[in-house]
Order: sequence, then C-alpha cells, then structure tokens
Amino acid sequence: MKPVYIVGAGMTKFGRSEWSLMQLASVASLAALHHAALGEIPVDAVVVANMGAARVNHQTALGSALVDRLALYPAMAEAVENGPASGASAFKVGCQAIASGMADVVLVTGVERMRVVNGLEGTDFVASLSQPEVEYIYGVTLPSLAGMFARLFMDRFGVERKHLAMIAIKNHENGAKNPYAHIQQTVTMEGILTAPEAVVNNPPIAEPLHLFDCCPVSDGAASVVLVSEEVAVKLAGPKVRVAGIGQATDTHAVHEREDPTDLKAVRIASEKAFSMAGLKPDDVDVVELHDAFTILEIAESEAAGFFGRGEAHKAIERGETRLDGRLPINPSGGLKARGHPVGATGVAQLVELAWQLRGEAGARQAKGAEISYACNFGGFGNNVVATVLRRE
Amino acid sequence: MSDNVYGAKCTSCGTVNYPTRAVCRNCRNETFEPVEIGGEGKLLTYTDVYALAIDYETRYLRLAIVELDDGIRVTGQLLDDDPKLGKRVKTTIGVVRDPGEAPIQGLQFVPA
Repeated sequence: MKPVYIVGAGMTKFGRSEWSLMQLASVASLAALHHAALGEIPVDAVVVANMGAARVNHQTALGSALVDRLALYPAMAEAVENGPASGASAFKVGCQAIASGMADVVLVTGVERMRVVNGLEGTDFVASLSQPEVEYIYGVTLPSLAGMFARLFMDRFGVERKHLAMIAIKNHENGAKNPYAHIQQTVTMEGILTAPEAVVNNPPIAEPLHLFDCCPVSDGAASVVLVSEEVAVKLAGPKVRVAGIGQATDTHAVHEREDPTDLKAVRIASEKAFSMAGLKPDDVDVVELHDAFTILEIAESEAAGFFGRGEAHKAIERGETRLDGRLPINPSGGLKARGHPVGATGVAQLVELAWQLRGEAGARQAKGAEISYACNFGGFGNNVVATVLRRE
Repeated sequence: MSDNVYGAKCTSCGTVNYPTRAVCRNCRNETFEPVEIGGEGKLLTYTDVYALAIDYETRYLRLAIVELDDGIRVTGQLLDDDPKLGKRVKTTIGVVRDPGEAPIQGLQFVPA
C-alpha cells in the first residue's frame, strides 16, 4: 500500500446555518485546499460524506455537485453514505484511491444540513438506521439505544451519572476553546447534576441519559486534502501520515450481540488500525471519540484499548482525559460540544487531529502530540471506522 | 400472532435468527423455518425515551431489551410501572406504532 498524507484540513463552524448544503461543503473544501496550498497540482478525486441529504435536503449525487461548485472537473467524484460513520468511510475511500495509485490528490468533504427539519423529523431520519423489523417499529431512536446501553453498562461497571457529567463538563470546556464548535459554553456539576435547578436545566432524554449527555443536532462541513508521497514531497508545511485505518461491523439489532455492553466493532476496528500502523494504544498522544452520548466516550475508550474494561470512568475521575491530562480525549469538544452534523463528524474528527499533530489547535492544543487516534461510530456500533494518524 | 414477531430457525443448526436473515449467523446455512418469538424472561435493560420518533403522541416511551428463557433476546415496549434490571417479565402482543393507516403490532413486556 502506498503511503497517504493529510496536507490540508478545514471546516465550517458547526451549529445552525443559513448556508445551503453546497455552500457548507464548498466553504470547508476551500479552507482545506487553501491550507494544503497545492498550487498548480490538480485534484484527481472528490469524495463527499453525507447521510441525509436525499431525505432532508432533497439533493443527491453530492460528489458531482461539489466538483461543479469548486470547478474541479474532470476529477473523479462520488458520495459515501455509511450512517454516522460516513465521514471516516469517505476518508477511507479517499485513502484507498491514493494507496492503490489511482489518484495523487483527493479532497474528502463531509457535510450535513439537518437543522432544516424539525427535531422530530431529524430524530426520525437518524432512527431510520436502526433495524426496521425488530427495533424501529417499537419507536427506537438513537437516544433510546444509548439509554438502554448506558443503563446496562453503568449497572455492570459502577459508572454513575456524575461520571457522565464529568465528560460533558470536560468536553464543554474544550469546546469553549474551539471557535468551530457548535456550543462554546462551559457547564458545571452544580448546573447539570447537583443543584436543585439541574432537574430543569438537564431534563431526561433517554433515562439514564439527560440533555447534557447528548450531542446537539448541527449543520456543518469538514474537509481534508489527501496526497500521495510523490505530491507530499513537493509541498511545504508539516505532513500528517495516515498510519492505519480499521473498519468492522456487528449485528444490526443491538439485542443480538453476545454481550450488549461490548462494543465489538470498535475493538476490532481499533485493533486493525493499530496493527496497520505498527503502533499500540499506549503510543497515542491525543484522541477524538464519537461521544454522540457521554456513555460512548467511556465505552469506546475502553474498547479501543486505552483503558481496561470498567476502568475508563476511574481515569476520568483522575482527570487523565482532560486537555492537560495523560491522554486528552476530545480536545475539540467532541460531538457533545463541537456538534454532530452526522456525515461531517468523521471528517471533523480527522481535521481536529491533523491540526493537533501540526501544532495548529490554538488554545486547545494538546502538548507534544505526535500520534493520534479517532473512532467514528456508525449505527449503534454496527459499523465503526478507526483511524491512526502520525506526524512525520 | 403478528408478522413482526417471528424469527427464523435455522434448519441445520437450530439457531433462531431474530431478526430474520438470508444466511444463518451461526452456521451460514440458507434455509429456515419460521418460529414464534415470545414467552417469559428477564429484563436486561430499559429506558424511558423522551426523544421520540414520529408517530408517537405520548410524553415518553418505555423501551426494553428482554432475555427470554430460551436464550433469545428481543427489543420491545415495557408496560411496567416498577421496572428493575433482572425482573421477570413475559411477552404480549399489542399495537406498538400507529403511522396512521395500519397500526403495527409487536412485542410488549408485562410483569410475569
């Protein structure tokens, strides 16, 4: 496999946007292309990540649409839909194009504009990824799968609501330092858990998960420029190597999993990514996890191998995953604070990590970051893409 | 019985696939016979979900995963005012969703 490098990364601010789907996608793409400073070197391929445009924006064939918007003809182009893991899946497709020798320069852009529909419709559109015959018909939504997972996981490993709140507090703190984050506001333990008014501030969404355990619904786009070694050597600026990618699937219905608290696809995808990179979890300096729900940051960090089973919440108590801790997790604010424009999220995680490895993350820079890991969690853990990046 | 609560029992290894699928997840055999899903079991986990899908007028929905005594796990709606993990429950069939034209029947759980 030929080496692949990230040489440019950019994104829009996440949140509610008045911009059209293609405005969002082109603003993020141009930010990444300008960051890469390719000069006269042409873009060979464009891969767009998106989950819901066909349904919520009445637009399809997003790859061709973005090529046109950016006047990149005759570049190859397609869109990738893989639920909430669309972003890292599209990134993987872009890497494959370069690794195989089919392309030297690939633009990967994730975009979602989902605030145009009301909350009910937005929740339902995401719920359409659940198993239709044995989950969806019962009114299953993503928060409900997360709520059932959280109750079982917390019961088995002694995780308490205060641990979930610690994750929300940390990620809001990081998000407040991220000018691209949907929510740039800190929260306190009193405000979301212990004070009497916390009941009002932080209502239940899917017990035991409350509002501040759930990511917001966002519009936004994120973009990276991938190049081959032949192109990378011609460019100035720091280079981030795609060291490893792993992907794994699991049963569609959560109830069919041998151990419903085990995120098996995260475990397998991570093992594959680390094995390709020739690295281990202990080598990692900074991490982006898919905390669509706070409980997932705990469970994913264990399944990826950073902590033993039932150990992550203790590490959180010790502050190990804070920006100034041993292993900063979600310096961007994570899905919790940066926001979750579904198809853009997986790309945004890699944008953040590319910035971190280049030392360009500003007030939320993790010190001395050389190796990073991202987990993009699709479905409710039935399709997961893990990525390991390394500064060279 | 509702069409929604049948599993596919593999004619080769006997594994009940629920949901049904084209290939047995245990032995990769491709032939099945339908088998009714239901009975008694214990509550594995549950949630009260306020972030509802479309088609629901209630304030919240109590959803659960139950481990049936025959080892099959099922997702459904929990009709129990005092749920506890591990509690004994049994399945019934009722309307679980009403999109307007034809109400959908499925599994509900009540105390055993």
